[in-house]
Amino acid sequence: MSRVNTVLGPIPTEELGLVAVHEHIGYGMPGSELDTKWWKTPEERYEETVPKLRKFHEYGGGTFVDATGICNGRDINYYQSLSEKTGVHIVASTGFVGGDTALPFFERASVEYLAEHFVHEITVGIGSTGGKAGIIKVGVSRGGRMTDLDKRIYRAAARASKATGVGILTHLAIDAENAIAIFDEEGLPLDRVLFGHVDDGVNADKTRDTWIAEQGGRIGFDTFGYETELPDPPFWARPRRERLEHFLRFIAGEGRIKQVLASADANCSPLGWPGVKGHTVNYIFTDLIPDLRAAGLDEAAIKTIFVDNPADFLSIKN
Amino acid sequence: MGAQTAENTVGSTVNTVLGPVPARELGVVAVHEALLSVVPGAEHAFDITIDRAEIFEALAGKLRDFRSHGGGTIVDSTGMFHGRDVRLYEALSRSTGVHIVASTGQGPEELLGGYFLTPQTNPPTPWPAEKFADLFAKEITEGMVVPRVERRGAAGLVATAATRAGMTATDESLFRGAARAASATGVPVSIRYGNDAVHDLEIVLDEKLPADRVVVGGLDRKDAVATVAPLEVAGLGAYVAIDHVGTEDGVHVTDSERATLVAELIQAGHGDRILLSSGATGVAKGHEGNDVPYSHVLTAFVPLLKARGLSDEDVRRILVDNPRDLLSVR
Repeated sequence: MSRVNTVLGPIPTEELGLVAVHEHIGYGMPGSELDTKWWKTPEERYEETVPKLRKFHEYGGGTFVDATGICNGRDINYYQSLSEKTGVHIVASTGFVGGDTALPFFERASVEYLAEHFVHEITVGIGSTGGKAGIIKVGVSRGGRMTDLDKRIYRAAARASKATGVGILTHLAIDAENAIAIFDEEGLPLDRVLFGHVDDGVNADKTRDTWIAEQGGRIGFDTFGYETELPDPPFWARPRRERLEHFLRFIAGEGRIKQVLASADANCSPLGWPGVKGHTVNYIFTDLIPDLRAAGLDEAAIKTIFVDNPADFLSIKN
Repeated sequence: MGAQTAENTVGSTVNTVLGPVPARELGVVAVHEALLSVVPGAEHAFDITIDRAEIFEALAGKLRDFRSHGGGTIVDSTGMFHGRDVRLYEALSRSTGVHIVASTGQGPEELLGGYFLTPQTNPPTPWPAEKFADLFAKEITEGMVVPRVERRGAAGLVATAATRAGMTATDESLFRGAARAASATGVPVSIRYGNDAVHDLEIVLDEKLPADRVVVGGLDRKDAVATVAPLEVAGLGAYVAIDHVGTEDGVHVTDSERATLVAELIQAGHGDRILLSSGATGVAKGHEGNDVPYSHVLTAFVPLLKARGLSDEDVRRILVDNPRDLLSVR
């Protein structure tokens, strides 16, 4: 039996449909909740979020993977209500976006404790919500190199992934030699890891995407839509054409299309930053898939990228 | 040093969680205590339960004990990001009759969230003093936050701390920001020093905050006593908090040595700069806490002071008048 944990309970992998594999209902760094400049009423949050999810559903989107880690405004009850009311499957993460978003309690914790925490959130549930995590988020802190804490989190994630069968999703794929060394030491097959953000404007040049793929990792081109052409682009933006060409170059390699996933990393309603106006998960339908078709990808290729690969990755393997 | 006397705090008020209270009504004050103390992040831990009814019962019992021994006011000096629960404290104050003063502020650096240390800017420059000043001042002028929900009553002080191994650049921004917020709003600043009490005090004084608006905590640490820091701090005009009364460990001096320290400060003419507290943790989540009754100063330490020859007037000045003057909003 193949299954995936969503916030409303396990679903068969066959029901995932088209997956947006790296998205956020709302992300805010820990501490941003203290700064009223970002606060929104619940009315505003639903108003900003529900139409985007409904639109996602109408475009044919099936599953929204929320890559918001612990301490970053992850809000399972809220996701449950959104999923129930819009019909979009929502997969939540355990883990952390990066060591620099883990609060002191977790910063001080051992690898064993972190692994136990992740396993609990995957097999028992997150807090008192009953919702279980379907993915483990890890990441590289600001600065370009994995910190000791980042490494402890990666190691704990590897153990939790082996114990539970859920996959690992990374924020950034820089310093991948260190990441892969840890996964190898822990005996985790690299097809359980989606190395994300290989395409972002700051790090793409430093990211060894083809090398990671040769080692067996999955590759996430998942910041589509953060374009320098936007009126007020974020610092990680990249020219639209350049990103698309990077993607096409990557999948031109032998067998690579089986290893690639794509997403928009948009916030439905950001929690601790202004967000990027006009950029939503639905960029996948309005811009990305049309661009891919225009570049000559057929429907089978699009299904591979957005349906089959995510299903294989998200499916609990044990 | 412009010591404020009982006379000119007659009309003053103190910000408590239930609103401004006439300063003369505070009674005996414990200035450096913790009510609910949660290591940031522990609220998310799979094996930690935060049962607010149970926490309320435990805290109410400790506050009633404090009151039954003559205590009037507890200051929760743990800042805005270590488990502070303003609505719980309001209910506790109403239920027990103990005044509760809650604090804004954060620190040291290691206890901050990533929002302040690695913000989503390129490069991720940590927050400067001015932004901390604004964050803290608004908790006094507009009210303390219940995160992402609402603001409640005004904070009664700004509390911050420096890294034990020595003040970091971000700690310094916190100290300067705390001093500016205090200057702008009239509440005092509480600092816990890192490895040099006088140096850390001088950072907030450099912001032109009058020394009598500052309390320096942790001055019953062995390293402080060994370097005569309490006398120097008092000499600069700031309040000396001997704030681990009842704790006897490798880090702090004993209660007997604390009593000697109090007597020495009085002899040196600094009786109007001494504050006593236990640094007790009412309920701790994610750490051990310091399980001393809030009443320990009243039940166990005051007799030691009397045995050292302190008069009732001396004791009253330390437990009632000094904290009243410190906490009065200017």
